[in-house]
Amino acid sequence: MKKLMLLLAFFSIVGMQVYAQKTVTGTVIDDSGEGVPGVSVLVKGTTVGTMTLGDGTYSVEVPDGSNTLVFSYIGMETQEVAISGNVMNVTLSASSEDIDEVVVTAYGIVREKRETTYQTEKVSSEELMTSAPTRAAAGLVGKVAGMQVNLQDNGVKPNAQILLRGLRSVSGNNEALVVIDGSISSMSAYNDLNPNDIESQNILKGANAAALYGSNAANGALIVVTKKGTLSEKLTVGLNSSVTFEKVAYMPDFQDQYGTGWAGAYDNVENTNWGPRFDGTLRQIGPTFPAGHALTTQMVPYAPVKDNLKDFFQTGNTIINDIYLKGGNETSTYYLSVGDQRTKGIVLDDSYRRNTIRVNASKTIDKVVLSSNISFLNDKVDVVGDNIGDQDRPLYWFVLNTSANIPLSTYKDWENPKSYAYADNYYNAYYQNPYWAIGTNRNIDYSNRFNGTFNVKYDVFDWLVFNTNFNVNNSWGTGKDWRASQAYDATLQPSHSYVSSKVEDFEFQDSRYNLNAIFSSNNNLTDMISLKVNLGAATDSRKYRESTITANNLSIEGFYDVSNGTGSPVINVNQSQRRGIGVFGDMTLGYGNFIFLYASGRQDWTSTLPVDNNSYFYPSVGLSFVATDAISALKNNSILSDARFTVSNSTVYSSFRPYLTNESYSQAGGFPYGDVNGFDLSRTAIDPNIKKEKLNTTEIGMNLSFLKDRISLATSYYMTKTTDLITYTTPSTTSGATRVLTNIGELQGKGVELTLGATVLDMKGFKWQLNANYTSNSSKIISIKDDLDEISIWSTDSWGVYAVKGEEFPQIKANTYKMHDGKFIINPSTGYPIQEEGVHNMGRTTPKYIAALTSIFTYKGFSLSATGDYRTGHVYYEQGSDVMEFTGRSVASVSANRQDFVIPNSVYETSPGVFVENTNIQVQGGDMNYWKDIYNQVKSNYIKDASALKIRELTFSYELPKKFVKKAKLEKLKIGFVTRNLKTWLPADNRFSDPEFKNQVSRGGSTTPANAIGIGGYMQSPPTWSYGFNLNIEF
Amino acid sequence: MKNIIKYTTVLLLTGVLLFTSCKEYLDVNTDPNNPTEVSPDLILPVAQKYTANIMNASDAGGRRLAALSNLMMYNWSQSDGFSWYNDEFNYLVTTNFYSALFDRVYPYALKQYTELENLEAEYDYYKAIGMIMKAYHFQILVDLYGDIPYSEALQRATIPTPKYDDAQTIYEDLIVKLTAAIDLINNVPELHKTPDTDDAIFGGDMMKWKQFANSIKLRILTRQMSMSGRSAYLTAEFAAIATEGSGFIDADVAINPGYLKEKNKQNPFWNLYGKDEGGTLTLTSKATCATQWVLDYLTNSNDPRIDFIYEKPADGHLGVPQGLKDYDTPIPDVYMPDKVSNLGPGVLKGPSQGAVIYTLAECKFNQAEAALPGNGYLAANPKSLYEEGIEASFAYLGATGASTYYGQSMNNVGYDASANKLEAIITQKWIAMNSITAEQSWFDYSRTGFPSNLPVPMFAPTTDRPVRLFYPSSEISANGGNVPTQPDAFTAKIFWAN
Repeated sequence: MKKLMLLLAFFSIVGMQVYAQKTVTGTVIDDSGEGVPGVSVLVKGTTVGTMTLGDGTYSVEVPDGSNTLVFSYIGMETQEVAISGNVMNVTLSASSEDIDEVVVTAYGIVREKRETTYQTEKVSSEELMTSAPTRAAAGLVGKVAGMQVNLQDNGVKPNAQILLRGLRSVSGNNEALVVIDGSISSMSAYNDLNPNDIESQNILKGANAAALYGSNAANGALIVVTKKGTLSEKLTVGLNSSVTFEKVAYMPDFQDQYGTGWAGAYDNVENTNWGPRFDGTLRQIGPTFPAGHALTTQMVPYAPVKDNLKDFFQTGNTIINDIYLKGGNETSTYYLSVGDQRTKGIVLDDSYRRNTIRVNASKTIDKVVLSSNISFLNDKVDVVGDNIGDQDRPLYWFVLNTSANIPLSTYKDWENPKSYAYADNYYNAYYQNPYWAIGTNRNIDYSNRFNGTFNVKYDVFDWLVFNTNFNVNNSWGTGKDWRASQAYDATLQPSHSYVSSKVEDFEFQDSRYNLNAIFSSNNNLTDMISLKVNLGAATDSRKYRESTITANNLSIEGFYDVSNGTGSPVINVNQSQRRGIGVFGDMTLGYGNFIFLYASGRQDWTSTLPVDNNSYFYPSVGLSFVATDAISALKNNSILSDARFTVSNSTVYSSFRPYLTNESYSQAGGFPYGDVNGFDLSRTAIDPNIKKEKLNTTEIGMNLSFLKDRISLATSYYMTKTTDLITYTTPSTTSGATRVLTNIGELQGKGVELTLGATVLDMKGFKWQLNANYTSNSSKIISIKDDLDEISIWSTDSWGVYAVKGEEFPQIKANTYKMHDGKFIINPSTGYPIQEEGVHNMGRTTPKYIAALTSIFTYKGFSLSATGDYRTGHVYYEQGSDVMEFTGRSVASVSANRQDFVIPNSVYETSPGVFVENTNIQVQGGDMNYWKDIYNQVKSNYIKDASALKIRELTFSYELPKKFVKKAKLEKLKIGFVTRNLKTWLPADNRFSDPEFKNQVSRGGSTTPANAIGIGGYMQSPPTWSYGFNLNIEF
Repeated sequence: MKNIIKYTTVLLLTGVLLFTSCKEYLDVNTDPNNPTEVSPDLILPVAQKYTANIMNASDAGGRRLAALSNLMMYNWSQSDGFSWYNDEFNYLVTTNFYSALFDRVYPYALKQYTELENLEAEYDYYKAIGMIMKAYHFQILVDLYGDIPYSEALQRATIPTPKYDDAQTIYEDLIVKLTAAIDLINNVPELHKTPDTDDAIFGGDMMKWKQFANSIKLRILTRQMSMSGRSAYLTAEFAAIATEGSGFIDADVAINPGYLKEKNKQNPFWNLYGKDEGGTLTLTSKATCATQWVLDYLTNSNDPRIDFIYEKPADGHLGVPQGLKDYDTPIPDVYMPDKVSNLGPGVLKGPSQGAVIYTLAECKFNQAEAALPGNGYLAANPKSLYEEGIEASFAYLGATGASTYYGQSMNNVGYDASANKLEAIITQKWIAMNSITAEQSWFDYSRTGFPSNLPVPMFAPTTDRPVRLFYPSSEISANGGNVPTQPDAFTAKIFWAN
């Protein structure tokens, strides 16, 4: 608090000055001679300024004693021009990322890049929308160093995880903070944005940049600015349309030599593939139908059917139409958009529809600008259910449990009792027809979001601006999941159990309110010394409620209302609330416009800690030095255009979830039984001395640009140290708890980021730009606790994701073989390999490094652009192959031709310590049991290299020449051909799916904690690629 | 301009209001969904339900002690079309094999009972129940694992890595704790709370709790009867039971919080091995069936219980050898679920049947063993106790003709006709415990080797069954400093079996 008072006092003294004024007018144009609207025109050393109007003209009152105007616009090179006369016309040219740019930082505070003491990176609307993604996150992949975007599934409403600079917390949140139009928002709100409405995104990569946000800052921030109109801009009406098609990219790599059967023998109703070798003979599949049945026994060749599983999936498509208009008069601006997205998934009947509306408007009244940015979304997801059949399995399970010799796509007619596709007639005695599954299991969700930010900006004095934001971010929705019942003919389908019907109703409401107010001042203390100060306060409040009602065994078929259930419905209600208050301030002290000292502080009070001990202080300091301006020898150098060095350090504490500090009871499963109720003490014990997690970050950065910014290089090195990590340690279950929430040792992160931008060629209208970035990151567990060397994030008896002392986090562990001198030790009586006790380190699950490259060729209106990335140095647990091993479709299961065999490279122990080479003791059950019972037990068999090289985007576009377009009474016409995920290269041993995937249930929740990275998903459909066209017209 | 000032003022005022009531504004950290304190009558039934789960099956259908012990004792096998019990047939005792029997006892049932144990004197009845039930569980834990965490266990965050205690020391302390529990019941303060319907075992009948405590003592003591040098201790403890005077249980002990035919509310054994709440046979009920060996055994001794323990298919009883690989040779589909003897009406009574954790039959057989001439710990007639045991077994299963059955002059059936009385008792106990509390037979088998000639599965890696389980992998990773070296699962017998 003391620091804050000092700042405040200082701040009020420097303000006591009065200025006389004169007026300067002019026009700002770009390289092509067109007027540029929306350029910030600022009187240097003050907050006096204006924006250029629609035609690029401006008029500004310059206080006496000021002699420089600063013209800046995002994406263009900032210019400082000495005032000479009353008319000043300026040409701004487009910039590659260099230090003269302006960047939007915390709380929407716009700073010149040269004065920031940390690394930020910007993604423009064009860069984001290159491949017409349906979600903003998909457009970010590969474009920012230090950012890992994991596209976790490919459903019709996909989930993404955005990590900046790896992981800093073992159990806490590691996802980047999202700020939309100056207000703290949420990743789900970000996903709900119409990507076409995004003007730019600034990525504040580390806690240093985001420290003003207090506890929310630990994971860096994504600062999103939506599109706005500009003053006196003439009305533009535009249309953005795209059609994209989505296809399965690749299926799991399965064996196709052996078909339906068990223990080496053919079986006509098996889901498993332990039958004899394919021989092409005609064989019965499915039940034997009794005399008089409409069907005769189905016979198919005992041979693989090409792409039989792949053909189950259809070509999905997405049609997006956005209409927008923008413009403004002398005092007001507006941007309006209406978006419509309709998607058909690759799974039959899966669909998604989304409507978005955005109204961004502002009104200038004298020294006050009122603005509001309002968006509304509603969407509908209609997908196949997750708990299908008598075993509650996901759809993909049923597809994968279909042998290679089954013509799967011929079983579409599932409602027809005279068809082989009908439940009683389907060939598979254990897993139902996936087409039947689609028709009898649906999850339908509706959601809405209202996100409104109301802003008042008041130029109190020439040197002082007051800015306040009030944000409402509400989302709510309902969902219904249902499953129809299915009875079976006991003779035709003796192994199936009755599938019971159920319906689940779901509702949620998430309300967030944020309010912040900031005073910003800008003063030139002397000719050489400048001072910028921001002082502010913020509050946030969040309430969440969700409820589900599940009714089982419905009385009326096809009537999906909870009143239709028998027995007691299962009801769950979850509510939570949290609030916080923060006051903060920062100052930037500049000398000679080449060296800047930055300091900030924030004091937070939070509701999630005990009332008497709920406050924390977050400091940060930094320095930026522009060598090319400071050292005269470097000035106006024709090779080295800019050189800037930054260093900064910050400390932040991450916040708690609500109610975390109390041990509590909850109603136990099954209760109440009549009037007997029961409560279960939580299996999570709480350390009574629990405190907040502390994160200290140091960052060193360098920005260089060469040959008049033709080549630019940004690098940074960062070190993070998280102490008092809040996590769940796993005590012995004999303690009576399965988790203890406590603080543990230390997690150290460090990494290097490198961004290289280059204009390789620029001649005769032909331009080739390359943008490469490289990230390497390490997050190492330095210490955990006395007597405790690891904690489990998510684990089973035989595999899991852990934090292990001295190892990279997250670390995957699995049970594995017992080895002697690199040879498998076998049990001489069975031939089986012996397992090591417990689980063992298998490797890190986040990439050791990511390299990405974007290449853009432009020639006149033509543009060809490609983005690819390569992630490597990490492993993942291929859960899909593990759970499918018992079906005998794995490639491994045919490696010994389904014979008993001697484990290669094996030994056995004849007496303690004496090992004999095994040349003759065979594994028993090579036809089946060895693989499904013994091999399958060893989960290290399923830990695979997670490296992937992907071409994320490849697009070709053409913008028609202006004069041609104008003849057709248009302003702009651009057409493009886009592809996403055109090609993926995976290591040979990765046989199943995309390592980025994670199991998701359709409602968007995940089945494993967010930090349990490295558990490959198998519940969603196979990876896809897409291609399509887009069209942008402006009138 | 005025409007703007108003607008700004409103925004600012909102902020100011929030700041002025800062303390109140932030005081919203009370969980609306989960209480932090509850009364013992809400803790007890949950604990008992968990006891039933660990003995039978989890609500979600996870296999627990019932599956393990019936498979170990060759009572159950697997019908055609299922791949259910491979690990069991391979005797694949690893750190992941039935780890729930360790992992899901302490933080579930035992955690809840410990909550009761820590109550003040007003709740002495609850406290005593907590102590008795803990003794019940700890004995079974020792029987499965030997040395286990005991004295330092169940203290949550205070001792996250409890040390292991010696099995026999625990056994002795259990007797002390049971005595203390009975004392608590006998000396309850004037102001006390008595459990009612929240006691899902005895409905608050504290006399029955004392009898149950004595019967657990009986189980603990019987287990040690094959040990040498133990007779003085056993004699003294049996004398103490006699002096206390409440006697043993006179009915089957079952847990029933009010099971009914609804999702998550059915008896867990029924729910897994019988029908789901919709009345449909579960997959496990189809997968699980008799072994031919046990069917032959019952048939050859003219045992009417065969039709109660196992369901009789239309074509007559049929069992499957454990570990059978090729179900279809020579006759295809002969072992399909509807053709084999699945579990029968005597053990699958209905969705609201109680979960039996100690049968009257077992209590009688234990007494019979204690009364055997060579033991003499109980002054009673072993023959009549033996026959009462068989009567109790018939009664539970709903079978009739017990006296005709044990009246046969047949070894291990008629008492007088039996060459080895202990073998007769243990063999009859094995039949009586089938599909109910078969773990007792597994422990008896390790201790006595009876029933004789019990087969092992086809392709089993060893010639005899395991005698214990491995400490689970959770202990190796979370309590590695304390967990003992894994003893051999086939040779390292629990102390009472040596």
